[in-house]
Amino acid sequence: MLLQSISTSSISPSLRFKPPKPLKITSQLTPKFSISDADLQTRGFNLRRTFTDLNLDHLNTVFVSVGFPKRDPEKIKIALEHTDALLWIEYRKTKKPVAFARATGDGVFNAIIWDVVVDPSFQGIGLGKVLMERLVDELLEKRISNIVLYAEPRVLGFYRPLGFAADPDGIRGMVYSRRHQMRR
Amino acid sequence: MITLSYSPLYCSTRNFQLPNPSLFANLYGGLAVTKRYPLRAAASLWDSMRSSFLNNNTSQLIEPLPDEEEEVPQEIVLVEKTQPDGTIEQLMFSSGGDVDVYDLQALCDKVGWPRRPPSKVAAALKNSYMVATLHSIRKSPDAEGNDQKELIGMARATSDHAFNATIWDVIVDPSYQGQGLGKALVEQLIRALLRRDIGNISLFADSKVVDFYKNLGFEPDPEGIKGMFWYPRY
Repeated sequence: MLLQSISTSSISPSLRFKPPKPLKITSQLTPKFSISDADLQTRGFNLRRTFTDLNLDHLNTVFVSVGFPKRDPEKIKIALEHTDALLWIEYRKTKKPVAFARATGDGVFNAIIWDVVVDPSFQGIGLGKVLMERLVDELLEKRISNIVLYAEPRVLGFYRPLGFAADPDGIRGMVYSRRHQMRR
Repeated sequence: MITLSYSPLYCSTRNFQLPNPSLFANLYGGLAVTKRYPLRAAASLWDSMRSSFLNNNTSQLIEPLPDEEEEVPQEIVLVEKTQPDGTIEQLMFSSGGDVDVYDLQALCDKVGWPRRPPSKVAAALKNSYMVATLHSIRKSPDAEGNDQKELIGMARATSDHAFNATIWDVIVDPSYQGQGLGKALVEQLIRALLRRDIGNISLFADSKVVDFYKNLGFEPDPEGIKGMFWYPRY
Protein backbone atom coordinates (compact mmCIF):
# COMPACT_ATOMS: atom_id res chain seq x y z
CA MET A 1 0.00 0.00 0.00
CA LEU A 2 1.94 2.87 -1.33
CA LEU A 3 0.96 6.47 -1.21
CA GLN A 4 3.20 8.91 -3.00
CA SER A 5 2.51 12.54 -3.33
CA ILE A 6 4.56 15.28 -4.81
CA SER A 7 3.35 18.71 -4.06
CA THR A 8 4.70 22.14 -4.63
CA SER A 9 6.47 23.61 -1.67
CA SER A 10 6.07 27.26 -0.86
CA ILE A 11 7.54 29.35 -3.64
CA SER A 12 9.83 32.29 -2.88
CA PRO A 13 8.82 35.57 -4.55
CA SER A 14 11.80 35.36 -6.93
CA LEU A 15 10.44 32.12 -8.43
CA ARG A 16 6.88 33.28 -8.70
CA PHE A 17 6.94 33.50 -12.48
CA LYS A 18 7.86 29.88 -12.95
CA PRO A 19 4.85 27.65 -13.57
CA PRO A 20 4.20 25.54 -10.49
CA LYS A 21 4.98 21.83 -10.65
CA PRO A 22 1.80 19.82 -11.28
CA LEU A 23 0.29 18.16 -8.27
CA LYS A 24 0.73 14.45 -8.69
CA ILE A 25 -0.78 11.80 -6.47
CA THR A 26 -0.49 8.14 -7.20
CA SER A 27 -2.09 5.64 -4.90
CA GLN A 28 -2.29 1.90 -4.89
CA LEU A 29 -4.62 1.54 -1.99
CA THR A 30 -6.78 -1.25 -3.35
CA PRO A 31 -6.14 -3.49 -6.34
CA LYS A 32 -8.84 -3.35 -8.97
CA PHE A 33 -9.52 -7.10 -9.04
CA SER A 34 -9.20 -9.80 -6.39
CA ILE A 35 -7.02 -11.89 -8.71
CA SER A 36 -4.77 -9.90 -11.01
CA ASP A 37 -4.19 -10.64 -14.66
CA ALA A 38 -0.62 -11.51 -13.77
CA ASP A 39 -1.76 -14.04 -11.15
CA LEU A 40 -4.02 -15.62 -13.70
CA GLN A 41 -1.16 -15.91 -16.15
CA THR A 42 1.21 -17.53 -13.68
CA ARG A 43 -1.45 -20.06 -12.73
CA GLY A 44 -1.59 -21.23 -16.33
CA PHE A 45 -4.60 -19.38 -17.68
CA ASN A 46 -5.10 -16.89 -20.48
CA LEU A 47 -7.81 -14.28 -20.24
CA ARG A 48 -9.53 -13.64 -23.59
CA ARG A 49 -12.00 -10.97 -24.56
CA THR A 50 -12.97 -11.91 -28.10
CA PHE A 51 -14.39 -15.12 -29.50
CA THR A 52 -12.15 -15.33 -32.56
CA ASP A 53 -10.10 -18.20 -31.16
CA LEU A 54 -12.91 -19.73 -29.17
CA ASN A 55 -13.75 -23.25 -30.24
CA LEU A 56 -17.52 -23.38 -29.99
CA ASP A 57 -17.65 -27.15 -29.67
CA HIS A 58 -15.36 -26.94 -26.65
CA LEU A 59 -17.53 -24.18 -25.25
CA ASN A 60 -20.58 -26.34 -25.78
CA THR A 61 -18.87 -29.11 -23.81
CA VAL A 62 -18.36 -26.76 -20.88
CA PHE A 63 -22.01 -25.69 -21.09
CA VAL A 64 -23.17 -29.28 -21.02
CA SER A 65 -20.83 -30.15 -18.14
CA VAL A 66 -22.61 -27.64 -15.90
CA GLY A 67 -26.06 -28.73 -16.95
CA PHE A 68 -26.94 -26.31 -19.74
CA PRO A 69 -28.68 -27.80 -22.74
CA LYS A 70 -26.44 -28.58 -25.69
CA ARG A 71 -26.84 -25.84 -28.27
CA ASP A 72 -26.39 -25.57 -32.00
CA PRO A 73 -22.88 -24.10 -32.48
CA GLU A 74 -24.18 -22.03 -35.39
CA LYS A 75 -26.70 -20.41 -33.08
CA ILE A 76 -24.01 -19.87 -30.46
CA LYS A 77 -21.98 -18.05 -33.10
CA ILE A 78 -24.91 -15.76 -33.89
CA ALA A 79 -25.41 -15.09 -30.20
CA LEU A 80 -21.75 -14.20 -29.73
CA GLU A 81 -21.82 -11.89 -32.74
CA HIS A 82 -24.60 -9.97 -31.04
CA THR A 83 -23.08 -9.90 -27.61
CA ASP A 84 -21.90 -6.63 -26.11
CA ALA A 85 -19.06 -8.01 -24.02
CA LEU A 86 -17.62 -11.43 -23.39
CA LEU A 87 -14.77 -12.94 -21.47
CA TRP A 88 -13.36 -16.42 -21.38
CA ILE A 89 -10.50 -18.18 -19.74
CA GLU A 90 -8.31 -20.57 -21.65
CA TYR A 91 -6.32 -23.24 -19.88
CA ARG A 92 -2.94 -22.98 -21.59
CA LYS A 93 -2.07 -26.63 -21.12
CA THR A 94 -5.12 -27.91 -23.04
CA LYS A 95 -5.83 -24.74 -25.01
CA LYS A 96 -9.49 -25.25 -24.10
CA PRO A 97 -11.97 -22.82 -22.59
CA VAL A 98 -12.62 -23.51 -18.92
CA ALA A 99 -14.70 -20.48 -18.01
CA PHE A 100 -16.98 -18.11 -19.90
CA ALA A 101 -19.32 -15.20 -19.38
CA ARG A 102 -21.05 -12.72 -21.67
CA ALA A 103 -23.38 -9.74 -21.56
CA THR A 104 -26.00 -8.44 -23.99
CA GLY A 105 -27.95 -5.20 -23.89
CA ASP A 106 -28.58 -1.89 -25.56
CA GLY A 107 -25.06 -0.65 -25.00
CA VAL A 108 -26.22 2.44 -23.14
CA PHE A 109 -28.58 1.81 -20.24
CA ASN A 110 -28.98 -1.91 -19.68
CA ALA A 111 -26.82 -5.00 -19.77
CA ILE A 112 -27.83 -8.55 -18.95
CA ILE A 113 -25.21 -11.14 -18.08
CA TRP A 114 -25.73 -14.64 -19.46
CA ASP A 115 -24.03 -18.00 -19.61
CA VAL A 116 -21.62 -17.64 -16.72
CA VAL A 117 -19.94 -21.04 -16.59
CA VAL A 118 -16.84 -22.60 -15.07
CA ASP A 119 -15.82 -26.12 -15.96
CA PRO A 120 -16.51 -28.27 -12.89
CA SER A 121 -12.89 -29.44 -12.78
CA PHE A 122 -11.81 -25.82 -12.44
CA GLN A 123 -14.41 -24.57 -10.02
CA GLY A 124 -13.54 -23.25 -6.60
CA ILE A 125 -10.33 -21.46 -7.50
CA GLY A 126 -11.81 -18.07 -8.33
CA LEU A 127 -12.20 -18.22 -12.09
CA GLY A 128 -15.86 -17.25 -11.96
CA LYS A 129 -14.96 -14.24 -9.86
CA VAL A 130 -12.19 -13.32 -12.30
CA LEU A 131 -14.69 -13.18 -15.14
CA MET A 132 -17.47 -11.44 -13.27
CA GLU A 133 -15.29 -8.67 -11.83
CA ARG A 134 -13.89 -7.86 -15.21
CA LEU A 135 -17.20 -8.12 -17.05
CA VAL A 136 -18.89 -5.73 -14.64
CA ASP A 137 -15.88 -3.44 -14.86
CA GLU A 138 -16.06 -3.39 -18.65
CA LEU A 139 -19.78 -2.58 -18.58
CA LEU A 140 -19.23 0.20 -16.06
CA GLU A 141 -16.50 1.65 -18.25
CA LYS A 142 -19.14 1.90 -20.98
CA ARG A 143 -21.24 3.83 -18.47
CA ILE A 144 -23.89 1.15 -18.35
CA SER A 145 -25.41 1.52 -14.93
CA ASN A 146 -28.12 -1.15 -15.00
CA ILE A 147 -26.41 -4.54 -14.92
CA VAL A 148 -28.69 -7.48 -14.32
CA LEU A 149 -28.69 -11.24 -14.47
CA TYR A 150 -30.83 -14.28 -13.66
CA ALA A 151 -29.39 -16.53 -10.99
CA GLU A 152 -30.32 -20.07 -10.03
CA PRO A 153 -30.93 -20.44 -6.31
CA ARG A 154 -27.65 -22.27 -5.68
CA VAL A 155 -25.53 -19.44 -7.07
CA LEU A 156 -27.19 -16.50 -5.35
CA GLY A 157 -24.35 -16.64 -2.82
CA PHE A 158 -21.82 -16.40 -5.62
CA TYR A 159 -23.29 -13.19 -7.02
CA ARG A 160 -24.04 -11.43 -3.75
CA PRO A 161 -20.44 -10.69 -2.72
CA LEU A 162 -19.86 -9.43 -6.25
CA GLY A 163 -22.39 -6.70 -5.62
CA PHE A 164 -25.60 -8.17 -6.93
CA ALA A 165 -28.87 -7.96 -5.05
CA ALA A 166 -31.99 -10.03 -5.71
CA ASP A 167 -35.42 -8.41 -6.17
CA PRO A 168 -34.40 -4.88 -5.21
CA ASP A 169 -37.43 -2.86 -4.22
CA GLY A 170 -39.64 -5.81 -5.07
CA ILE A 171 -38.70 -5.95 -8.75
CA ARG A 172 -39.12 -9.52 -10.00
CA GLY A 173 -37.39 -11.27 -12.82
CA MET A 174 -39.98 -12.94 -15.05
CA VAL A 175 -39.68 -15.38 -17.91
CA TYR A 176 -42.21 -16.10 -20.63
CA SER A 177 -43.42 -19.65 -20.64
CA ARG A 178 -45.46 -21.07 -23.52
CA ARG A 179 -46.35 -24.05 -21.41
CA HIS A 180 -47.50 -21.71 -18.69
CA GLN A 181 -49.66 -19.88 -21.17
CA MET A 182 -51.21 -22.99 -22.64
CA ARG A 183 -52.12 -24.33 -19.24
CA ARG A 184 -54.60 -21.51 -18.74
CA MET B 1 -30.31 9.38 -11.29
CA ILE B 2 -32.40 6.27 -11.24
CA THR B 3 -32.62 4.75 -14.67
CA LEU B 4 -35.93 3.02 -15.02
CA SER B 5 -34.66 0.35 -17.31
CA TYR B 6 -36.82 -2.44 -16.03
CA SER B 7 -40.32 -2.82 -17.32
CA PRO B 8 -42.72 -0.91 -15.13
CA LEU B 9 -45.96 -0.94 -17.00
CA TYR B 10 -48.13 2.06 -16.59
CA CYS B 11 -51.14 0.23 -17.86
CA SER B 12 -53.70 -0.66 -15.28
CA THR B 13 -55.26 -4.05 -15.08
CA ARG B 14 -58.72 -2.74 -14.47
CA ASN B 15 -61.59 -4.78 -15.87
CA PHE B 16 -62.77 -3.29 -19.12
CA GLN B 17 -66.28 -2.86 -20.43
CA LEU B 18 -67.15 -4.89 -23.46
CA PRO B 19 -67.15 -2.36 -26.31
CA ASN B 20 -70.52 -1.74 -27.90
CA PRO B 21 -71.44 -3.96 -30.87
CA SER B 22 -71.34 -1.11 -33.36
CA LEU B 23 -67.70 -0.55 -32.51
CA PHE B 24 -67.05 -4.22 -33.10
CA ALA B 25 -68.67 -4.00 -36.51
CA ASN B 26 -66.71 -0.91 -37.34
CA LEU B 27 -63.49 -2.53 -36.21
CA TYR B 28 -63.95 -5.79 -38.02
CA GLY B 29 -65.28 -4.04 -41.07
CA GLY B 30 -62.39 -1.62 -40.89
CA LEU B 31 -59.89 -4.43 -40.83
CA ALA B 32 -61.52 -6.20 -43.75
CA VAL B 33 -61.65 -3.09 -45.87
CA THR B 34 -58.16 -1.68 -45.42
CA LYS B 35 -56.64 -4.70 -47.18
CA ARG B 36 -53.17 -4.08 -45.83
CA TYR B 37 -52.70 -7.64 -44.80
CA PRO B 38 -54.33 -11.04 -45.24
CA LEU B 39 -57.66 -11.31 -43.50
CA ARG B 40 -56.64 -14.49 -41.72
CA ALA B 41 -53.88 -12.68 -39.89
CA ALA B 42 -56.34 -9.98 -38.92
CA ALA B 43 -58.88 -12.51 -37.73
CA SER B 44 -56.47 -14.34 -35.49
CA LEU B 45 -55.25 -11.03 -34.13
CA TRP B 46 -58.85 -9.98 -33.53
CA ASP B 47 -59.55 -13.18 -31.65
CA SER B 48 -56.63 -12.61 -29.38
CA MET B 49 -57.57 -8.96 -28.95
CA ARG B 50 -61.18 -9.80 -28.21
CA SER B 51 -60.21 -12.12 -25.41
CA SER B 52 -58.33 -9.29 -23.80
CA PHE B 53 -61.44 -7.11 -23.92
CA LEU B 54 -63.52 -9.68 -22.12
CA ASN B 55 -63.87 -9.42 -18.38
CA ASN B 56 -62.36 -12.80 -17.91
CA ASN B 57 -58.71 -12.28 -17.12
CA THR B 58 -57.91 -15.94 -17.13
CA SER B 59 -58.59 -16.27 -20.84
CA GLN B 60 -55.66 -17.10 -23.02
CA LEU B 61 -54.30 -14.16 -24.89
CA ILE B 62 -51.77 -15.80 -27.12
CA GLU B 63 -52.78 -18.74 -29.25
CA PRO B 64 -50.36 -21.49 -30.11
CA LEU B 65 -48.50 -20.50 -33.25
CA PRO B 66 -49.81 -22.04 -36.47
CA ASP B 67 -47.64 -24.59 -38.15
CA GLU B 68 -47.18 -22.84 -41.43
CA GLU B 69 -45.46 -19.49 -41.67
CA GLU B 70 -48.06 -16.77 -41.41
CA GLU B 71 -47.42 -13.68 -43.45
CA VAL B 72 -47.16 -10.99 -40.85
CA PRO B 73 -47.44 -7.27 -41.43
CA GLN B 74 -45.22 -4.86 -39.57
CA GLU B 75 -48.14 -2.53 -38.99
CA ILE B 76 -51.44 -3.57 -37.50
CA VAL B 77 -54.47 -1.42 -36.82
CA LEU B 78 -55.68 -2.48 -33.41
CA VAL B 79 -58.62 -0.18 -32.93
CA GLU B 80 -60.55 2.17 -35.16
CA LYS B 81 -63.01 4.63 -33.73
CA THR B 82 -65.19 7.15 -35.48
CA GLN B 83 -65.76 10.31 -33.48
CA PRO B 84 -69.09 12.17 -33.59
CA ASP B 85 -67.52 14.85 -35.76
CA GLY B 86 -66.52 12.28 -38.33
CA THR B 87 -62.83 12.11 -37.41
CA ILE B 88 -61.48 8.60 -37.55
CA GLU B 89 -58.93 7.61 -34.95
CA GLN B 90 -56.81 4.53 -35.56
CA LEU B 91 -54.59 2.98 -32.95
CA MET B 92 -51.77 1.35 -34.81
CA PHE B 93 -49.16 -1.11 -33.70
CA SER B 94 -45.85 -1.14 -35.52
CA SER B 95 -42.73 -3.19 -35.03
CA GLY B 96 -40.49 -1.70 -37.61
CA GLY B 97 -40.86 2.04 -37.47
CA ASP B 98 -38.44 4.61 -36.22
CA VAL B 99 -39.20 6.34 -32.98
CA ASP B 100 -38.64 10.05 -32.66
CA VAL B 101 -36.76 10.42 -29.39
CA TYR B 102 -38.50 13.68 -28.62
CA ASP B 103 -41.92 12.06 -29.09
CA LEU B 104 -40.72 9.36 -26.72
CA GLN B 105 -39.50 11.95 -24.27
CA ALA B 106 -42.92 13.59 -24.27
CA LEU B 107 -44.50 10.20 -23.61
CA CYS B 108 -42.10 9.47 -20.77
CA ASP B 109 -42.90 12.86 -19.27
CA LYS B 110 -46.59 11.94 -19.27
CA VAL B 111 -46.00 8.85 -17.15
CA GLY B 112 -43.50 10.57 -14.93
CA TRP B 113 -40.33 8.78 -15.95
CA PRO B 114 -37.12 10.74 -15.49
CA ARG B 115 -35.61 12.24 -18.60
CA ARG B 116 -32.58 10.71 -20.26
CA PRO B 117 -30.12 12.32 -22.68
CA PRO B 118 -31.77 12.09 -26.12
CA SER B 119 -28.57 10.92 -27.79
CA LYS B 120 -28.36 8.00 -25.37
CA VAL B 121 -32.01 7.14 -25.92
CA ALA B 122 -31.44 7.16 -29.67
CA ALA B 123 -28.47 4.83 -29.26
CA ALA B 124 -30.42 2.50 -26.97
CA LEU B 125 -33.24 2.27 -29.51
CA LYS B 126 -30.81 1.66 -32.34
CA ASN B 127 -29.16 -1.13 -30.35
CA SER B 128 -32.46 -2.77 -29.50
CA TYR B 129 -33.41 -5.89 -31.38
CA MET B 130 -36.99 -4.81 -31.66
CA VAL B 131 -38.86 -1.61 -30.95
CA ALA B 132 -42.64 -1.82 -30.95
CA THR B 133 -44.80 1.27 -30.99
CA LEU B 134 -48.41 2.29 -30.67
CA HIS B 135 -49.53 5.37 -32.52
CA SER B 136 -52.81 7.22 -32.58
CA ILE B 137 -53.63 8.41 -36.09
CA ARG B 138 -56.42 10.88 -36.48
CA LYS B 139 -57.82 11.36 -39.96
CA SER B 140 -60.03 14.41 -40.40
CA PRO B 141 -63.39 13.90 -42.15
CA ASP B 142 -62.41 16.10 -45.11
CA ALA B 143 -60.19 14.30 -47.55
CA GLU B 144 -57.46 16.92 -47.68
CA GLY B 145 -56.80 17.21 -43.95
CA ASN B 146 -53.41 15.94 -42.80
CA ASP B 147 -53.27 12.90 -40.54
CA GLN B 148 -52.26 13.59 -36.98
CA LYS B 149 -49.92 10.95 -35.69
CA GLU B 150 -49.10 10.67 -32.00
CA LEU B 151 -46.91 8.20 -30.16
CA ILE B 152 -49.01 6.65 -27.40
CA GLY B 153 -47.08 3.54 -26.48
CA MET B 154 -43.79 1.76 -26.84
CA ALA B 155 -41.97 -1.37 -25.79
CA ARG B 156 -38.56 -2.63 -26.81
CA ALA B 157 -36.50 -5.76 -26.52
CA THR B 158 -32.79 -6.40 -26.55
CA SER B 159 -31.53 -9.76 -27.73
CA ASP B 160 -28.56 -11.81 -28.82
CA HIS B 161 -30.55 -12.76 -31.92
CA ALA B 162 -30.38 -16.42 -31.04
CA PHE B 163 -31.37 -17.48 -27.54
CA ASN B 164 -32.46 -14.69 -25.24
CA ALA B 165 -34.50 -11.52 -25.42
CA THR B 166 -35.30 -9.10 -22.62
CA ILE B 167 -38.17 -6.64 -22.75
CA TRP B 168 -37.62 -3.10 -21.42
CA ASP B 169 -39.41 0.20 -21.06
CA VAL B 170 -43.01 -0.80 -21.66
CA ILE B 171 -45.01 2.42 -21.68
CA VAL B 172 -48.56 3.49 -22.56
CA ASP B 173 -49.92 7.03 -22.53
CA PRO B 174 -52.06 7.42 -19.38
CA SER B 175 -55.04 8.68 -21.38
CA TYR B 176 -55.00 5.48 -23.42
CA GLN B 177 -54.51 3.11 -20.55
CA GLY B 178 -57.17 0.67 -19.43
CA GLN B 179 -58.08 -0.43 -22.97
CA GLY B 180 -55.87 -3.46 -23.29
CA LEU B 181 -53.33 -1.63 -25.41
CA GLY B 182 -50.40 -2.46 -23.17
CA LYS B 183 -51.35 -6.11 -23.37
CA ALA B 184 -51.62 -5.91 -27.14
CA LEU B 185 -48.25 -4.19 -27.34
CA VAL B 186 -46.42 -6.78 -25.29
CA GLU B 187 -48.32 -9.62 -26.92
CA GLN B 188 -47.30 -8.52 -30.41
CA LEU B 189 -43.73 -8.10 -29.27
CA ILE B 190 -43.70 -11.63 -27.86
CA ARG B 191 -45.21 -13.03 -31.06
CA ALA B 192 -42.59 -11.30 -33.16
CA LEU B 193 -39.82 -12.66 -30.96
CA LEU B 194 -41.21 -16.19 -31.00
CA ARG B 195 -41.56 -16.03 -34.77
CA ARG B 196 -37.84 -15.38 -34.93
CA ASP B 197 -37.22 -18.42 -32.78
CA ILE B 198 -36.00 -16.58 -29.70
CA GLY B 199 -36.82 -19.15 -27.08
CA ASN B 200 -36.13 -17.26 -23.88
CA ILE B 201 -38.08 -14.04 -23.33
CA SER B 202 -37.55 -12.32 -20.02
CA LEU B 203 -38.18 -9.04 -18.28
CA PHE B 204 -38.00 -7.33 -14.89
CA ALA B 205 -41.30 -6.23 -13.46
CA ASP B 206 -42.11 -3.66 -10.84
CA SER B 207 -44.06 -5.38 -8.04
CA LYS B 208 -47.23 -3.52 -9.10
CA VAL B 209 -47.22 -5.00 -12.59
CA VAL B 210 -46.20 -8.58 -11.87
CA ASP B 211 -49.83 -9.68 -12.25
CA PHE B 212 -50.13 -7.90 -15.57
CA TYR B 213 -47.25 -9.92 -16.95
CA LYS B 214 -48.52 -13.13 -15.36
CA ASN B 215 -51.65 -12.70 -17.44
CA LEU B 216 -49.48 -12.52 -20.52
CA GLY B 217 -47.72 -15.77 -19.74
CA PHE B 218 -44.74 -14.62 -17.74
CA GLU B 219 -43.70 -16.50 -14.63
CA PRO B 220 -41.87 -14.80 -11.77
CA ASP B 221 -38.81 -16.61 -10.41
CA PRO B 222 -39.28 -19.77 -12.47
CA GLU B 223 -37.70 -22.68 -10.62
CA GLY B 224 -36.49 -20.21 -8.04
CA ILE B 225 -34.33 -18.32 -10.52
CA LYS B 226 -33.98 -14.77 -9.25
CA GLY B 227 -33.40 -11.52 -11.06
CA MET B 228 -30.38 -9.78 -9.58
CA PHE B 229 -29.23 -6.19 -10.02
CA TRP B 230 -25.73 -4.82 -9.53
CA TYR B 231 -25.76 -2.27 -6.69
CA PRO B 232 -29.26 -1.00 -7.44
CA ARG B 233 -29.81 2.56 -6.42
CA TYR B 234 -33.09 2.17 -4.60
